[in-house]
This record gives sequence, structure tokens and C-alpha cells, in this order.
Amino acid sequence: MSLFAFLVTQSLNALSQAALLFFLGAGLTLIFGIMRIVNFAHGTFYMLGAFIGYSSARLTGSFWAALVLAPLAVGAIGMLFELGFLRPLYRRDASAFLMVTFGLALVLGEIIRLVWGPEALQIEPPQSLTGIVFLIGEPFPTYRLFLAGAGIIVAIAIWQFLDHTRLGLLIRATSQNAEMVRALGIDVNLIRSAVFGIGCGLAGIGGVLAAPLVTASVGMAATMIIDAFVIVIIGGMGSFPGSLIGALLVAFVQVFGEYYLPDLALAFMYLVMLLVLVVRPGGLLGKEA
Amino acid sequence: MVTAAAVVALAPLILPLYLMTLVTEALILGLFAMSLDLMIGYTRLLSFGHAAAYGFGAYASGWLLLHTQLPMLLAVPLAALLTGFVAIGVAWVCTQATGVSFSMLTLAFAQLLYAVAFKWTSVTGGSDGLAGIPRRPGPFGLDAFISRSGFFYLVLIVLLGALAFCQALVRSPFGAVLRGIRENEAKTLALGYRTRRYKIAVVALAYGLGGLAGALYAPFAGFANTELLFWLLSGQVVIMVIIGGSGTLIGPILGAGFFLVVEHQLSNYTEAWALFFGLTFIAFVIFAPEGIWGLFTTRLTRDGAIPRVKPKEG
Repeated sequence: MSLFAFLVTQSLNALSQAALLFFLGAGLTLIFGIMRIVNFAHGTFYMLGAFIGYSSARLTGSFWAALVLAPLAVGAIGMLFELGFLRPLYRRDASAFLMVTFGLALVLGEIIRLVWGPEALQIEPPQSLTGIVFLIGEPFPTYRLFLAGAGIIVAIAIWQFLDHTRLGLLIRATSQNAEMVRALGIDVNLIRSAVFGIGCGLAGIGGVLAAPLVTASVGMAATMIIDAFVIVIIGGMGSFPGSLIGALLVAFVQVFGEYYLPDLALAFMYLVMLLVLVVRPGGLLGKEA
Repeated sequence: MVTAAAVVALAPLILPLYLMTLVTEALILGLFAMSLDLMIGYTRLLSFGHAAAYGFGAYASGWLLLHTQLPMLLAVPLAALLTGFVAIGVAWVCTQATGVSFSMLTLAFAQLLYAVAFKWTSVTGGSDGLAGIPRRPGPFGLDAFISRSGFFYLVLIVLLGALAFCQALVRSPFGAVLRGIRENEAKTLALGYRTRRYKIAVVALAYGLGGLAGALYAPFAGFANTELLFWLLSGQVVIMVIIGGSGTLIGPILGAGFFLVVEHQLSNYTEAWALFFGLTFIAFVIFAPEGIWGLFTTRLTRDGAIPRVKPKEG
């Protein structure tokens, strides 16, 4: 394999990995930007997406239907949780949220294990995505290419949504000054619920898309949530473009680190994060913490 | 307090072996949770990476016991000191941030340590961890703490000593500054206290005591593995502190006991013990942020059983 082909395929690999990470990181950072909540249960919503995706794919017989249904369901569950458990806590300090969402992560993880059982479940990707394609003479899994594309499409969609719709405008305004938005007669609580739902739904998309690759399993939340935190912290908490940069950075560090320095790959990600935080405590694109 | 300690001290005489092991583990976890309370309860520094202290202490004492001829009674405090010393550097970095960023930084350090422990196989044993950690007698042939009940007493003595130390600490002028940071850091800074130095000091102390707990765990269990460094343990110890009652020192010890009992007993009846535990935790955060010990003491003072000296610590 030529160096060029190697770089291209590995970069695509990293891009598909970045897409998965981005689905979590984007939701996490949106939620933080609006609500100042670090959602510890975000990885669990991602896992929930994978399992609901599995069930809906079995019921409907279609991966695409699952890709639509599961995120909607996860988003709805997220909104219910926000209404029931988070809203009573808005007067408390941020640590209360961290703890309640941690508790939710335990509870939801347990419920998932009770409902779907401890075994890993495989979602079959649609026929059109199962094969391999040849890129500059090298084989590459179609599904990973699809993932990278899906990540790019969703990133552009969120960008357009935030920049060009009324709800997007309100979301950006609320993250800058919630009091002012409230004074203008907008129901800020409604926006919070919406953002929490959207964030969880994004995690759900990530879960469904990850399931054919890594299978839906009860362990999938634990590793992913920490990676998502790292992304959001590197990019700057609350910054949407920051989460995109963070996801790309972490994915490339993971993929190339695994190849060149397999012993250090796991630690490398945290070193990058510490380095960023020492230089810019608020993250690359974040406000000063 | 004294009666409770006396009752616990009699445990080896009346309890069956497996229960005594459980109590020993609860006391070790209690020490771990109490150390975190210095940060959460008295300084409002929410660490989400306290497993780093526990795991580091456990690996350090395990390594010392496996690879040197040091007796357990020297290896354990040495490991704790080492943890506290390393924590000064960690604290220096983490205290550059405040609030949620501080929590995330402590988490990052813990995960970094976890990653290192996983990969640095020649020292840490990788995913297998360190096994067969001995309780070496000495110095001077002292072997009273080697047996199962002897080890129990060792842990009890250490816990009571640490509790006395922490209680004196939080009542000292140093502790007053910590509470000042908890209530209003800007004001404390304006009063002329270099709050960042105090925060670094309390983080190093808390990590040192957490390391002491981990250092005891290694010879207790006979092994140290990466689970002791995993973020799940960091979250669980926060739960112990909150359920027990933060800012009380005794509460977190009760919280640790509660956690272990729930884990061991409920897991006999139902697989879904974590479900129950998570719900209990959420309920405590929302409805009773003062925790078990807080509920207990307010009930007592309301009924006039003990005179109310001051409304709440701080």
C-alpha cells in the first residue's frame, strides 16, 4: 500500500469515527450551552438509541425506519426526563445536575439491561451498505464511508438549523443571555426542553449508526461518554463548531495513534486535552472558564 | 460516636467471617468517601476523578509490597504520601479551572491514569492488574495486623485517626478558609487569602487520604486492578458522599456503608440493584441534599435529643 493510499484510507477511517463522536459531542455541547448542564447520561441515551434502533429494525424490517424512529423515541424520553427531573433543579447549582444525570445513567443503563438482556445485539445494515468499495485501489468498508457522509450531512444540517431558523436563533440567544430572552416574552423552559430533546435525539442517531459497527451492548455507553466529554472540553463547552473540531481532533488522534503508537494511543487523547486546557482553560473555541 | 466506634470494634468477636470482611471493606470505602468530603463538603470542589487517588494508592502499595521487602505498615503510609505528593501537581493544573471545568479536569486526570495503568504492563500488570499482594509483617516482627481480624483493627484505627484529623482540620483556621472558599471564593480572596494555595492544599490532602484508603485496599483484597481507577468508581464515591451527607465527615462513612450493604445484599435478591441504587441517589439529590446524616441530626435536634449548638457546619 502506498503511503498516499494509506493516509487516505486512515483519514476516512478517522472521519467515520469522528462522525460517531460528533453525534454525541454536538448534543452534549448544545445542552451545556443552553442549560449549563453536563449531561452524564448522554452516553446512555446513545446506548438507548442503539437498542431501540435494534428493536425497531426488527419490527419494521428496515434499517432506515430505525434510523428515523429510534432518535425520535430517544429525544422524547430525554424531554420527559428533563421535565420530570431537571426542571425542579434549575435553582440549584450545576453539581446537582451532574449528580442527577449520573444517577439517571445508572438507572437507564439498568433498565436497558433488564429490557434487552446482557447480550450484544447486532443490527444488520441495509444491503446497499454492507460491501466494500475500492478507493485508489484499496478496499474500504462502504458502511464507514456512509458514516463519514452522514456525519458531514448532519453537521451541515445542524449548522443551517442554528443559523437560519427561528428556533435556532432562539437557542443561540438563550445560550448568550437567557434572562433577556425571557424578558422578550419567550418561554425559555420550552427552549430548554427542546434542546435537551434534540441533544438526546442526536445521541440516539449516533447509537443507531454505531450499532452495525460495534453491536448494541450494555458496555457501549461507558467508553463513549468519556470520549464525548473530552471532545466537548477540547472544543470549548457550549461551542457547536468546537465540538466538530474536537471530534475530528480526537478521532484522528485515536486512529493514527493506534497505528503509530499503540501503547500510548489511549493516553494520548487525554494528553491532548490537558494540553489544550492548560493553554486555553475554556477550550479551543470556548469562553474563558 | 465513641459508642458506635466501640460497637464496631467488637465486630470480630460476634460477626461471621464474610460479614467481617464486608465491614472491613466498608470502613476502607468510608475512609475513601470521607477524604472526598473535604473537597465536596467543605470547599465545594466537586471532583469527578477521585478514583485516581484510590487506584494510585492501591497500585503504589501493591507494587511496594510485591517488589520491595517493605513491611505493610510502612508500604501503606508511603503509598499514601506518594499519592498526596503527586496530587500537588494534579491540583495545580485542575485548580486553574473552576466549577464544572474543574470536575472535568479531575476526571481527565483519572482517565489518563486509567489509560496508563492499562498499557504500562511491566509495572501495573495491564488489564490483569497486580495480584497476590502480600500483607508482609513487620517492622520488628510485628504481625498483629496480618490476620483477618488484625487487619480489621488496623483499618478501624486508621479510619478513626483520619476522622479525628479531619475534624480537627475543618475546625482549624485552615478549615475556616476552606468554608470561606465554599461560600464565596471571591470574598475570601478579597480578604487576603490566597485561595488557590488553599485549594491545592486541600486537594493534595484529600487525594493523600484517598490514596491511604486505596493503599489499604490492595493488601486487603490482595490485588489491584484498573477498575479501581475507572470513572465509575469516581461517580460512586460522589454518590456515597451525597447520600451520606456532605460536609459532615461522618455522613460519607455511613454513605459508603450503605452503598456496600445495598450492593452486597440487594444483589442477592435482584439483579437490578443498580436500578434501585440510582433511583435512591436521584431522590437524595432532589429531595434530601443534606443526606442520611443530615436527616438524622436535624431530626435529633428538632426533638431536643441533642442541643443545637450551631445551625449547620459553616
